[in-house]
Amino acid sequence: MGTVRSLLHWRSLRWKIALLVAVACGAIALTVGLLVHRSTYERSVNDGAARAFSVLDTALGSTNPDDASGLVHDPAQMPPELVREARAHGEAHVFDESNQYRPEMWASRKLPDGQLVAVSVDMTPDQLSRAALDRHMWKYSLLVLAVVVPLSALAAELPNRRLRRVARTARRIETGDLDARTRMRGRTGDEVAEISVTVDSMADSLRDRLLSEQRFTADVAHELRTPLMGLVTSAELLPESEATDLVRDRVQVLRTLVEDLLEISRLDAGVEHAEPRPVVLAEVVRESLARTGLDARLTVNNAPAAAETDPRRLDRILANLVINAHRHGSGPVEVTIEGTTVVVRDHGPGFPDSLLAEGPQRFRTGTAERGRGHGLGLTVASGQARVIGASLGFSNAAGGGAVATLRLPSTDATHT
Amino acid sequence: MSHAAPAVGPGASTPAPVTILLVEDDEVIRRSVAMALERYGYHVIAAGDGLTGLELFREGRHDLLLLDVMLPGLDGIGLCRRIRETGTDPILMMSARGDALDVVSGLEAGADDYVVKPVDTAVLVARIRSLLRRATFTPTAAGTGGRADQAGSPGRLDQSGQHIQSGESGQGQQHARLVFGELAIDTGGLEVSLSGEPVALAPTELRLLLEFAANPGIVLDRQTLLRNVWDYGWDGDTRVVDLCVQRLRKKIGAERIETVRGFGYKLRR
Repeated sequence: MGTVRSLLHWRSLRWKIALLVAVACGAIALTVGLLVHRSTYERSVNDGAARAFSVLDTALGSTNPDDASGLVHDPAQMPPELVREARAHGEAHVFDESNQYRPEMWASRKLPDGQLVAVSVDMTPDQLSRAALDRHMWKYSLLVLAVVVPLSALAAELPNRRLRRVARTARRIETGDLDARTRMRGRTGDEVAEISVTVDSMADSLRDRLLSEQRFTADVAHELRTPLMGLVTSAELLPESEATDLVRDRVQVLRTLVEDLLEISRLDAGVEHAEPRPVVLAEVVRESLARTGLDARLTVNNAPAAAETDPRRLDRILANLVINAHRHGSGPVEVTIEGTTVVVRDHGPGFPDSLLAEGPQRFRTGTAERGRGHGLGLTVASGQARVIGASLGFSNAAGGGAVATLRLPSTDATHT
Repeated sequence: MSHAAPAVGPGASTPAPVTILLVEDDEVIRRSVAMALERYGYHVIAAGDGLTGLELFREGRHDLLLLDVMLPGLDGIGLCRRIRETGTDPILMMSARGDALDVVSGLEAGADDYVVKPVDTAVLVARIRSLLRRATFTPTAAGTGGRADQAGSPGRLDQSGQHIQSGESGQGQQHARLVFGELAIDTGGLEVSLSGEPVALAPTELRLLLEFAANPGIVLDRQTLLRNVWDYGWDGDTRVVDLCVQRLRKKIGAERIETVRGFGYKLRR
């Protein structure tokens, strides 16, 4: 089905090349045709004139009255042009096409007594054979076009196929397959080879950059988490006291901060890939809210029976939104599922204007709340939403309060 | 299984503590994790690098290995591979990088499970317990999660099964010999053989195979396997399943476990 559709795709390069070939062929055929038509016409006129004069001379030299019967003596019956020419030059011939169905060739001589005598010859057979020639030329030109145009479309298919391969590779690279290559270098020296070599080298440098970025992120992760692990475990070993609680609280904050930062750098490096599977959206959201341990009222309006998403990432997004609502807004926090859209709303002062204008920025929280949280939660939520193909929008409710709207891709779209 | 479960040690009125061999180069982590695990009643022997770890492993006093990935000299992945050449000891890896390089290589090398640092002691202990349950369940120790599944399965298989022969009919439900082509599983003695040759399976691989054998021809999704074999709740890493299936395939023949794209795996009858 796809091949047929792509074959019929009229804006395809294939048909453009075929059209070009058709126009070029048509132009050549038209030029040659016109030249042939013209020279045949001229030859036919010359032959006709010679024939007419020979008929005239035969009639004048003959004593047989039958031969003389075709002679015209009355200038009024002759074409005026013939009369004028014959009077001026002594003899003349004119091709009279005034009657479309019976063209005639006139020949005339001025007799020694000054009288004009003329004869006309029927040129219909000539006209018919010329028309037949024209028809043939048309027919064979069209026939050749009918063969050449599909052939050139087929011939254009070869570079076309290579171009499509380049496009396919580029698309695969775009979707994150960094090992995709066209592998067409050096086969032909044309522009398609050039673009495929360029795509390949672009993919190489892209992969190198990404790999070094990933390595750096992983090294940073190792360097940060190793001391943190010692700290976390040691803090657990401390005897219970008020001071221990303070230490543990700060260790927890530090741990969350490090994990958020590492998550953001992984998201920035583009190394995160969703693992979608069919889930019951309402259930995932309910469990996710329960795990936060925070108050949130869940309302479900006509949720689809099954959605396809990555539940771990969805959980990260929801947890961050709800925690943010509690930290920077105030209760009650309301979570609403409408189809595949999840809305988290609080009743606090709403999102600051800068966030509404520019989206979440790292470490930028409302000035009033500075010091409470690090402003990474919403950045993480936005990044994770991108990974699962969802959009996360921020707005403020009319009655006050921040509204975060998470639109998951609809299930229908993921199946087509 | 090479190592006996401490709980069924001979004549022990107070069971000997489970010994964990910890290989970790960071001193603070090594000492604090050892102390934390000792609070939970484990006995810990620790090594600071891979080669010392290998020596301690050869002494064979451990029940479970807890390996850091990045180690001076022989790293955790190399160590894991060396251990898997000879043994089926339960191995839990600790990765600080937590990326595919560490996690996937560790699991490919034969680790049963992994945790990402920093890890709460409670979580670490839960992983250790789950792994020990897999490693130490014995055919006679009825009542554990593993046994319950198995006790149910042979009966069910006998009713449906063309390919399954009930081995020792006298013991009936408790001991069955399941045969799938060249592959034979003795659910009583927990022995697996391929074309008559015994196959050594790591604890998780064996547990996974039993899970498949209890549901032959039925597609098991990764979440279910994570829950039943690894005791993960909702947030397990499905790569653990994929890589364990890969290892299992290498040992029992790739065609025996079929991938059902987008769903999971099934055992071919």
